[in-house]
Amino acid sequence: MTSVGSSRALTRYAANGSHKWFSSQSCLTNTEVRKQRNKAFVAEKKRQMSLITRVEKIKVEFKGHPEDTTLIMNRGLSTPYNCAMHMEELLRNRSALALVDGRPWDMHRPLVKDCELQFLHFQEQIPYLSNMVNKAFWRSGSFLLGYIMDRAFKDQYYVEPHSWPAPDIRSGSFICDIDLKMDNWTPNEEERNCLTRIGYNMLLSTSSKVFERLEVDASVAQDMFADNRFKLEQIPDIAAKSKSQNTVTVYKLDDHIDISGGPMIANSGLVGLFAVSAVHPIDTKFGRLHRVQGLALPTQLKIRSWTWKLLLERAAKYNATRLPGEVPSSDDNISGSQTIEQPFLPPSGASRPQEATT
Amino acid sequence: MTHSPNTPAPWWTKKLDTSAPEDLTSDNEAFLQDMVEEKYSVDSPLKEGPWERADWTPRSVRCGLICRKIGVIPQWLNNGKKFYTTLLQVADNHVIRYTPPEINRERRRGSRTPNFGIQVVGADSADPRLFKAEYLGLFQEAGVMPKHHLSRFFVTRDAVIQPGTQLNAMHFSVGDFVDCQARTIDHGYQGVVKKWGMKGGPASHGATKFHRKMGATGGGGNMARIWPGKKMPGHMGNEWRILKGLKIWRINTKYNVLYVHGPCVPGPHHCYVRVMDTILPLRKRKGDGPKPPFPTWFADDYKDQEIPEEIFDESLHRFTASSIEFEEEK
Repeated sequence: MTSVGSSRALTRYAANGSHKWFSSQSCLTNTEVRKQRNKAFVAEKKRQMSLITRVEKIKVEFKGHPEDTTLIMNRGLSTPYNCAMHMEELLRNRSALALVDGRPWDMHRPLVKDCELQFLHFQEQIPYLSNMVNKAFWRSGSFLLGYIMDRAFKDQYYVEPHSWPAPDIRSGSFICDIDLKMDNWTPNEEERNCLTRIGYNMLLSTSSKVFERLEVDASVAQDMFADNRFKLEQIPDIAAKSKSQNTVTVYKLDDHIDISGGPMIANSGLVGLFAVSAVHPIDTKFGRLHRVQGLALPTQLKIRSWTWKLLLERAAKYNATRLPGEVPSSDDNISGSQTIEQPFLPPSGASRPQEATT
Repeated sequence: MTHSPNTPAPWWTKKLDTSAPEDLTSDNEAFLQDMVEEKYSVDSPLKEGPWERADWTPRSVRCGLICRKIGVIPQWLNNGKKFYTTLLQVADNHVIRYTPPEINRERRRGSRTPNFGIQVVGADSADPRLFKAEYLGLFQEAGVMPKHHLSRFFVTRDAVIQPGTQLNAMHFSVGDFVDCQARTIDHGYQGVVKKWGMKGGPASHGATKFHRKMGATGGGGNMARIWPGKKMPGHMGNEWRILKGLKIWRINTKYNVLYVHGPCVPGPHHCYVRVMDTILPLRKRKGDGPKPPFPTWFADDYKDQEIPEEIFDESLHRFTASSIEFEEEK
């Protein structure tokens, strides 16, 4: 590593010696960036909460198990999870996603008007509902991969996540494309197990971590992701596609924060089996990135070890879903928060089955 | 009287996966069954080239087979004598592992077989989804499907068989003598009359409540107590017993069945039986006779030859053989 003398304090460098970016801080690390980002998130959340001075009431029509009821909740404060708290522990524990007026909605996202509410779990029988939950689960999986890669490396390696494509179940794995600033890093089985373990340490921690959602202005998002050159490029496009043309949706799990459009599952405790299956180097218009692939199953779905190994083999194969820089499909984490992945009206003739009373 | 428990030792790998069954659609279930077939129909790429084969000597001790006792049927000699034979079917045997004598010696201090290697043989392939990951790992080296039942055989170094090899009934020949070892029929808790053959008491003639009892427990006086080992009611059966020197009268190569002398092979129907070359000195193979397939019978060696479906001992009567023939006198 070349010594830069007095400008060492100004140079931010990685172990492979790239001296591309300069900052007033001594050495940019993922830990520091994370701290700053968390501060900004918490401050923004507090500010948004303080805007609600008068608590207004909304009527929430709940349909499903145990019985159809009407709940009076607080506008901008009450979440579907709070509604479940009024009803049953079963709904709190097993619900992965909520359906608000037929649209998929995060369990911990505040309700803003009178609406119809339903809860979705991982063993839905109707395909268009289970697809919704499945995609939310895989999206959360991609988010988890970002969480792991952000804290897996030693301080001298600064890692910048790029994005991830829309969840495609048929591809066999969920993805996160990351700039590791390395030419070709393909971890062996032990290293992959290390990455998986970082995920499990978080998933198995006693306090189940909730996916917190926040809609922020583009300028706030720019501040939050100032140290990620990819996100800075993406934020204007994402904001332009939003309803208000200035909003970016941001998710926080534990202390990892990332941009994503679609809904995530309720909390990390719903993830059962999890593994980082492979890391493949990819060539994109942004240079050499690494595609991290993973596989997970919810706790509610039981599987034998042999079957899991079979699925893991498939998940380790290179996933050819669109690369960063290619034309995006309707539902990626960089294409805005107003996309709908499935038509939210049920097909004609189909009706929601009676819920089991156990 | 030995009674070794039939429960797994705490340090063995846990075998069966008894967690909740997988909640799969019928499509996925069919897919997984196809994948199981696909995975195990191909030879494992982990196998090295075939191991070298040594030559049999009278001091060599070969591996044995794990068979299932499937029944008892009579056979007749050419002189009309009837006797019973037990049918022992070789239950889808594959060699799983070989541990050389050096490691065996270290692990089993005070072992009575320090100069023998251990050959682990598995019987009856099973769906891998029934078992825990730990148990499945035992079969990775051999590259075979996981087995329901495993057993050990002590072999000399020259008799080692490569893991993954299939074992056939042709490992033995007609006319060989074998030792059959199995767990006896489990009779449960039994009284002294059945368990020890004591006489009990008279059925009538005024016998009051003394029909199947033990009677006296000891001698009194100097003995002063009931001696340890006194024959009393208790659990009977489910013990390892070995029946030595049984002749193989007939082999069915299509179904891999050995017809072994006598109806008394220990164990209930469909129990696993360990079948090994006999150690009885007068019935063992001698150096002067024909040599056995060593270390085992390999089907590949006989690919071009046609192997008869039934192989009979010379003196055995065959019902399909032609009857008395009279040549027409001209």
